[in-house]
Amino acid sequence: MSQQKSKKPGWFASLWTVMRKELLDLFRDRRTLAISLLMGPLLAPALLIGMGSVISNKLTTQLEKTLELPVVGIEHAPNLIEWLKGQNVSPQEAPADPVAAIAAQDEDVILRISEKYAEDWRAGKPALVEILYDSSREDSQIPVQRVERLLTAYGQTVGALRLLARGVSPSVAQPVIASPIDLATPESRAGRMLAFLPYLLILSGFLGSAYLVIDITAGERERQSLEPLLATPAAREAIMSGKIAACTLFGLATLVLTLFAMKLGLQYSPGLQGKVELSAATIPVLLAIMVPVVLLGSTLLTLISASVKSVKEAQSYMSILMLVPMIPTIFLMVSPVKNQWWMFAVPFLAPNQMINKVIRQETVVVLEWIVYFGVGLGLALLLWLVAAKLYHREKLAISG
Amino acid sequence: MIEVHDLHKSFKTKTGTVAAVAGVGFTAHDGQITGLLGPNGAGKTTTLRMLYTLMAPDSGRVLVDGIDAAKDPDSVRQRLGVLPDARGVYKRLTARENIAYFGELHGLSKEQIAARTEALVDSLGMADVIDRQTEGFSQGQRTKTAIARALVHDPKNVILDEPTNGLDVMTTRAMRGFLRGLREEGRCVIFSSHIMQEVAALCDRIVVIAKGRVVAQGTPDELREQTGQTNLEDAFVHAIGSEEGLFL
Repeated sequence: MSQQKSKKPGWFASLWTVMRKELLDLFRDRRTLAISLLMGPLLAPALLIGMGSVISNKLTTQLEKTLELPVVGIEHAPNLIEWLKGQNVSPQEAPADPVAAIAAQDEDVILRISEKYAEDWRAGKPALVEILYDSSREDSQIPVQRVERLLTAYGQTVGALRLLARGVSPSVAQPVIASPIDLATPESRAGRMLAFLPYLLILSGFLGSAYLVIDITAGERERQSLEPLLATPAAREAIMSGKIAACTLFGLATLVLTLFAMKLGLQYSPGLQGKVELSAATIPVLLAIMVPVVLLGSTLLTLISASVKSVKEAQSYMSILMLVPMIPTIFLMVSPVKNQWWMFAVPFLAPNQMINKVIRQETVVVLEWIVYFGVGLGLALLLWLVAAKLYHREKLAISG
Repeated sequence: MIEVHDLHKSFKTKTGTVAAVAGVGFTAHDGQITGLLGPNGAGKTTTLRMLYTLMAPDSGRVLVDGIDAAKDPDSVRQRLGVLPDARGVYKRLTARENIAYFGELHGLSKEQIAARTEALVDSLGMADVIDRQTEGFSQGQRTKTAIARALVHDPKNVILDEPTNGLDVMTTRAMRGFLRGLREEGRCVIFSSHIMQEVAALCDRIVVIAKGRVVAQGTPDELREQTGQTNLEDAFVHAIGSEEGLFL
């Protein structure tokens, strides 16, 4: 036997060793890997984009296809009916009980022309046309808007003709003309289409590697391999940091996949093509924004895993943690406020604002970057210190 | 050499404080096998955990090669090879990778790890399984892997918690041979057991623990003398005060 060959390993050497081992261990677990790398990152964007394109397809068809419009009292206003036929509308005989037809969702919208229509028309009085619909039904919105717009246009045209016939300029009856000018840029419109993206990214960044984190601290303890590991001379903080580093790398890898899946999905999904784009240049910026979020998730879950008795107990925290990133988003939905610097210091709100800015291609100023990374990394460091303290507890190594 | 002075350790439980170890002291010399014998729940594992610095004693001292475990736990851990009660080998790593992982955490170079692995594979007789993932290993193969992992850094002092627990007769015999080999190499070997035969067959010195206290210690001859019994088995029973929990 030779004398003392080993020396105390370097801090970063231990971290590196633990990180490599945990990643190797994970990559050998093919099924878990496939599910967490492929299902999550690919399924969520696929679902969201799929739904987006279904909605957009529906909008296009509802707006553009010939509107079949049942009309009660179709015989009372032949001129109106003729005019409607020229406007991509196909007026039809209405069912016997129009109210019941709407209630049964057989029809989205029904027009009812008053029996006194012709009489009022000739007398120069407003002639009554009723639009029957159910406002609580999402589907009826677009057809109703189309009918309303057409009837307004018809009324204006006839009104103008009547004024002209009396020698009055139609503009006399139009003292104000309102013309909306939309200042939204294509990028900000894209931002609206991608409103779900910040939440999706923050949630998957925060909890994407949660099961891995729980497994390699609480799980390792349950499998009884933490005791021999902690009996080595490697510093406990280094062992813990190696585990956190492995989880952070894995979390970022899932995010890279998620973002590329989103990019491809947006490029190729029918209905969205060209309207919304996630440029290749924004992906690294988004990833940089996610680094503090992923670190926060890994350290927080390490802390939880080191403090609980079992994997099951650690997992029971998941349902609470899933709600946490939603709080700022809900708060903003209820009372939207303009971006202010302090927002970049609020966990989960800050990445939300940053991601929105990047998607809308607005500039994130240096101060905002500094505040964001300062607070985000500072918080992760704080959690790291608490977790390190827990890693030194006697109870940690001993299972059962 | 490992010196243990009057260790005490209590745990808080729901029903009150339990004194797991209440006065354990002994010395384990280099080139000797020291056995901790005692019934289940006597405080053997807790004592060993304090030796390898996983637990801090409430009072008392542990010196490994003259180094105080409370003052310099890192140096103590470097000088110890530990097979804890919890074997916990990583099942998705091969036996070789398991050993290399701990070698790296002991600050060994790749060459040192390779050389030590070869030597341990030889002496433990695990050439046929060394490159297999440990999932599906038998109890014996798992224990061998855990022992090889514990000894990768060629430690001068070796602590083994119930090394033959759950092993079949042949593997147990091989394990005893291996422990004698460690003694021949001049190492200080401490192992715990609740099996009297095993302790009697292997140990140069025996420390009998019951209810957290050392009730007798010495060479087998000294034990017979102390208890006034000619038969070693009777000596143990006499020292412990009952046959309960002891495997004769």
